[in-house]
This record gives sequence, structure tokens and C-alpha cells, in this order.
Amino acid sequence: MARISIPTTARLPSSLRVAPSNPAVSKILNHLSRGSLLSIVLDWLDENNQALAAPYLRAAEDEDDGLDDLNPPAQSLEELQELYADLQARKGSKREVLDRIVEGDWRHGLSLYQLAMADLQYLYDHPLSQKWSAYRIMPLKPAARDGGGDEHTPPLVDNESLMVPRFHPSTFLNALQAQVLPDVKAHYNFDRHRSLPLLLLRIFILDSPYNTSLGIAAPKPAPTTFDTSRTVYIAFPDASPHVFISKPQTVGASAAAGESKSLRTLIVEGIPKALSRPRRRFTLKSTSLATRNLEEMVERRGAQRTNSAAGGWGVYADETKKESPLDTVLPTPPLSEEEEGGGERKRKKRARALSPAARREERAVKRARLVAKARFGESARVDDGKGVERVDVVIEDAFPEDEPTGKSGRRERLRDGEREGEGEEEEDDDSQWQRRSKGGRRSRADIDLEREREIEADRQREAEGGQWRPNVRLTFRGSHVFAGLRQLVEHGIIDGERMPGWLTGEEGVTVGAVRNGRIRGYKGSGV
Amino acid sequence: MASLDEEIESLQARASALKSKLQIQTSTLLAAPSTRKLLTPPSSTLTTDDTTPLRQKLLARSAIQRAHNQQCLYRACAGLTLFRAQDPDPSAVDGGAILGLRVEIVSRAKFLRPYYVLLNRPYPESAYLRVHRHTIPACIPLAGLAARWLPPPKGEAKQDLARFSRVLRREVVRYHHRLGVVADLRKAAGLGGRKGRAAGEGGEDELEAGAVPAGGKLVDITPADAEAKQISIEWANGCAGRLVMGDDGEIIKLVAVGEGGRDREAVRELLGGAATVEDVVKRLASG
Repeated sequence: MARISIPTTARLPSSLRVAPSNPAVSKILNHLSRGSLLSIVLDWLDENNQALAAPYLRAAEDEDDGLDDLNPPAQSLEELQELYADLQARKGSKREVLDRIVEGDWRHGLSLYQLAMADLQYLYDHPLSQKWSAYRIMPLKPAARDGGGDEHTPPLVDNESLMVPRFHPSTFLNALQAQVLPDVKAHYNFDRHRSLPLLLLRIFILDSPYNTSLGIAAPKPAPTTFDTSRTVYIAFPDASPHVFISKPQTVGASAAAGESKSLRTLIVEGIPKALSRPRRRFTLKSTSLATRNLEEMVERRGAQRTNSAAGGWGVYADETKKESPLDTVLPTPPLSEEEEGGGERKRKKRARALSPAARREERAVKRARLVAKARFGESARVDDGKGVERVDVVIEDAFPEDEPTGKSGRRERLRDGEREGEGEEEEDDDSQWQRRSKGGRRSRADIDLEREREIEADRQREAEGGQWRPNVRLTFRGSHVFAGLRQLVEHGIIDGERMPGWLTGEEGVTVGAVRNGRIRGYKGSGV
Repeated sequence: MASLDEEIESLQARASALKSKLQIQTSTLLAAPSTRKLLTPPSSTLTTDDTTPLRQKLLARSAIQRAHNQQCLYRACAGLTLFRAQDPDPSAVDGGAILGLRVEIVSRAKFLRPYYVLLNRPYPESAYLRVHRHTIPACIPLAGLAARWLPPPKGEAKQDLARFSRVLRREVVRYHHRLGVVADLRKAAGLGGRKGRAAGEGGEDELEAGAVPAGGKLVDITPADAEAKQISIEWANGCAGRLVMGDDGEIIKLVAVGEGGRDREAVRELLGGAATVEDVVKRLASG
């Protein structure tokens, strides 16, 4: 151990040991279940991890070292491995394992690497424990070369750039370290996600200018510096210009919310700079998607086809469907009975024996199910594990009163509107909807007329300004919001045909403002 | 019992195989010109029983089949086709009219699932298009392409859908070719497929024991970035390299770093005057 600590700008080394009495250590380890605790301990005892996670072993010559201890130190690695494997095989309390780790085999401290492993294990055990938000990496226009004092004008986003950002972990880390202030120390740990195509970076921030264990060990007057330390996860999806950043959580005692926010901003600001290279600047742009579910994140902002073909559009992205032009067999229409399977036909035969009312009901149920399939596709199933837990929507449409057309339709809709505020989301499109429901193709003139009307409406809106726009905010919460909506459609509670598109989750956002029945702000999921 | 189950299973498999065969035969028969000739009533003998509902049905079916065949032909030959679709959203712009762009991809003598770009017309005063939904992978700069060739109706910028589709298709095809060339490199170097690599150390030992003469020196070849324009190469002697590929597969740069700094020898040995990555594949494959 170094005798003196000198402030440096280097990062915290992985091998740095934290005293087991530190509240952060017990907090991190206490999170884990007994099974995961034992499995990571066996990982620590692996030959390859000895440099960073060596246990406290008794030297062969001094026989009586710690023999009177409750947890006597082992003599060799193999002995310890056997011991923990035994613990794994039999039942027992978590406390026993925890005590053995903290007071026995790692009494000289747990390295930051070990803590990072434990924390990641917790993330795997509880995949919903972190709240993630997705950011898009956007290229910036190269700075103007005139140099005439325009250093303060922020560079513009280059929409026309064809550059796809590239990511190199170690270069990124070096650059990020340079961005972090010198009085903040951080420990970085990269890990490949076990099941998803993600590279996880765990950043453990410590408010101390020192990177030695003396800096971490509690200075007497102040309590441990871990009180203000925080963990931030950054996930890099493979082959996708997005970054997922977790909201920080506090380790140890509670810290001021503002402080933790500022640290996060520091990181968020540092990431694009760390990604940038000379003459290639990037910035991060929020994509209005925040969820606890990483799988959903990868689906919506990953490298695959599903990025902006969610909901019913999923039929275009479905990789399992074969659609070769060399196959001349007529494709079955997506919602036809042949695709549904044979069971459908049998039911139809039985239905004939039922009373007319029952038959009607059955038809309605079947229709609702088909409509749900048309609107949601294969997405939003309760058991697909890709749920968002919260969706916030602001409705900015004007109150329907001053709409000259479609009054009857509105009344009808309000009658079957089952949720507060839902009656108001599509009023501007009443006219559109009604015309469409009359069936048949619309002529070119019709479209022109409608567009004209839209322009007029827009102009009116701008001119009046005094139109009453009620402040309607909808928040959907649940374990899988869109699956819940799908179930409501399937049971005929929501009329699936008139339901606006954003209720199917096809925009891939969790925060949005609705205008004219469409989510604005995030301009479509296309580009 | 087990044998009975097996029998049922095999019979079911046979039934489904026969069913699919029947479908293929039906579609071929329906589209054949001779069938059509048989079905169409001769114009000279206008008798009433010629317009039976069954015949009408068959004729309609035949027409659909022919239309489908024509679509398949266009898709197979043009590689870039348009279609119309309907947005199910009742509040969709422009009555939910969607123009779809289908990009066919051929890789390893097979048509892959096509990529789709779905366009709509959201601008009230013009017929300009905008990308609404798409299934293009994230490593294709679709946003940049759309900003160049499908700008919003502000200023003088004109939209050029044909140009957009051509450029987009080229990017997608290039991307798949780059992936293909990396796979070819792996094959030529005697490295297994991706699955073999995932299997772990055992697989690698086998590879070294297999001792492909040219490829024995290369341990790993993987695409290193999202666009697969960079390939990271590892030699058996611990030397690590990075190959940067241009748009057309030409080698822009290959750098290898060994224990004692840059290893120009390894680079020369691998390239040997090759200008494109395909040349390297050929070199490796020939030994």
C-alpha cells in the first residue's frame, strides 16, 4: 500500500482494494442472492482472476495465523474452491457466506473489480433494476474554418452525413477519462452482456482526487468517501449508432439528488466527446425512449430490422417469414384462416349450432382478435419480455367543439371511450376517419379536398391561437403497457380499428406529444 | 408405443411435404398458358354452361397466380420494386397511403428476406415523400441518404426517389457483400463459421491441429465495426492487425502490430500485392 496519496488524473485501478467494513461493500454484496454470491465467489477464485481478486491465504510457515478465527484462512486456492463448491451444494444462509467473504477470505479488502463483478451479477439477476434511456449518436458538421470567433456557436447536427459512428472500447475509455474532471475518480469495467448483443460499461464514480487505497480508506473526520460515489452503466449495442445510459443509483448513504444528476450530466456530456475523433464530431440526441427493459431497448434501438418497424409493421421485419421471389406459391394473406390453423374452422362449424346472439358475439370476439393482430402484429404479447413499464403522452389537440364535421361520430366515440382522456385524442381526424369508414377508394379529388381542409385548419389554428386546447396528459403504467392495450383490444374494450397508431407502441417512444392523432416531436420513427 | 409415435410423426411430416408439393403443382398448373387456354371458353361457342361458377373461380385464381408470378419475376430481376400499402392508423397522414420500397438482397445464391422502406406523404402542400417506417439495419446511414435525396419541401431542394432508391440499394448490397467477403476470408483461412468460434477453445485447438497451410497462421478474422468496413485479423504469433476496406472492397490500409511494433512482414505475406479483399481470399484459398 502506498504510504502517501498524490492527486492524479489517472483512473482507479481495478486491483484497488476496498476495506470490507466499508458500507458500500456490504451493500453491494447484500443485494445478491446466496446462489449468485457463491457463483461469483467461485469466479473470483478462478485462476485467471487471481491478479485482481486474490483471497487472503495463510502462508504455509506460520501455522497459527488466525487459527483461533471464526473463519480461518485457507492455505491454498484449491482448498477454497472446494469449500465454496461445498457451500454451493448444501443449503444454508446467505449470512454465513457473506461473513466468510467479508471477515474470512477477503478480510484484506475486496478489489474494485470484484465489486464491479458483484454489481453486474445483480444486474443479470434483476434485469429490470436499472432505468435506461436511449440516445442516438449524431454526427456534427465540421467546424467552419474561418475561425472568426464562432467558437461559442455550437456545431450543427449534420443530417446529410453518411458516416456511421465507430466505437472502440479502449480508445473510448482513454478519451472518456480525459473528459472526467481531475477531482473525480472513476473505475471502469467492461463486460459483455450474457444474452443480449451489448457491451456494458460500468462506471463507478468516487469523489476523491486520489487513486490509492488511502484515498478510499476512511479519512477520520469525514465518513467514507463512498457516500457520494455512484454507479452509471453505459450499454453499447452492437452495430448500432445508439447508446443506452442508466440513471445513476446511490450506493451507501443518500446523496443530494442534484449532485448525482450533475455527475450523470458530466458523463453524458463526456460520452460524445470521447466518441469523437479529430474532424469527426458526434453528439448525443435523446430518442424519447426510457425503460427498464434492456431487451426492448435492443429491439427498438439495436442493429436489427425491428428498429422502426414496430407494432403492426413488424410483418415487414419478421426474419422468420420466407419471401423469396423464386417461390411461386401464392402467399397466404397475413390474417387469413389458413394461417390461423385448423382449429378455427372447427369452431366455425360449431358456431352454426349456436343461437344468433351467441354467434354474433363469437364473430365479434374473433374480429376483435383479428383486429388486434392487424394492429399489433406479433408484438406486444404479454410473455414476450419486451415490455415498457411506463408511457407518458401529452395530447395537444384542440377541443373538438369547433370542428364542423363528424359530430355524430365523436359522440359515438365518447360513448365507447373507456378511459379518461382517450376520447380526445383523435378529434381532428374525425372527418378523415368518417370518410374512410364509408368504404371504397377515395378519388384524387377527395384527397386534394382533404388536404385543402387540413391546410385551412392549420391556418385557422395559427390565426386564432385562442382555441381551447385542454391539457390532457396520459400516463400508462404496468409491467408491459402495450401488451395490456393489446389485451383490451382483443377483448373488444378498445375499438381496435379506430385506435390511434401510437397506442400500439409502433413509434417506439415512451415520451411523446400527440397532435392530430400522431406523435409529434420525435418525427416519426422513420428517420 | 414409441414406434407408433414415430410412425405418426413420419406420416405427418410426409403429409405436410405432400401438401406443399401439391401447392407448388397447383401454382404451376394455374399459371401455365395451356391451362388458361383450357379454362377460357372459346369465343365461338357461347354456351351457358361455360360460365359455371367453378370455372369463374378458377379463372380468377389463375389471374391472381399470374399476377403473383409477374411480381416475382420483377422482384427477381429488378432487385428494387415498389408496392402500395395501407397504414392501419386511422389518423395516419394522407389517408394512410403508403408507398413501399422493396430491396432484394442475394447472398450465397439465396434471396434473403428483402428490406423495406415505407414512405408516406405528410407534407400538406406538396406530394413530397418522407420515410415513415423501414427495416434497414442501423449500420446503413438511411437518415443521411433521406436528407440528401428526399429533403422536406423547404427551399429549392428537389426530391429524387429513383436516385434515393438506387443509392440505398447500393449501400445495402455493399454491406452484404462486405459481410460475405469477411465470411469468405474466414473460410479461406480455415476458420470455422461463427458458431464454431462461439464453441470456444476446443474448436480452436482443432483448427490448429487441422493445419490449413495458408490459413494456419491466422487465428481470427472478424468484422470490427458496425458497417463491416474494418476487419480485425489475429495471427497465431500474437500479432494483431486491422484491415480497412473501401466501398468497393479495395484494401485501403492494413496494419499489423506484433510484439516488437509494426509487423510489415506479416502484412506483406498476407497481401502479396493484392488490391482488393477478394484477391486476398483467392490467395489464401490457393494456398
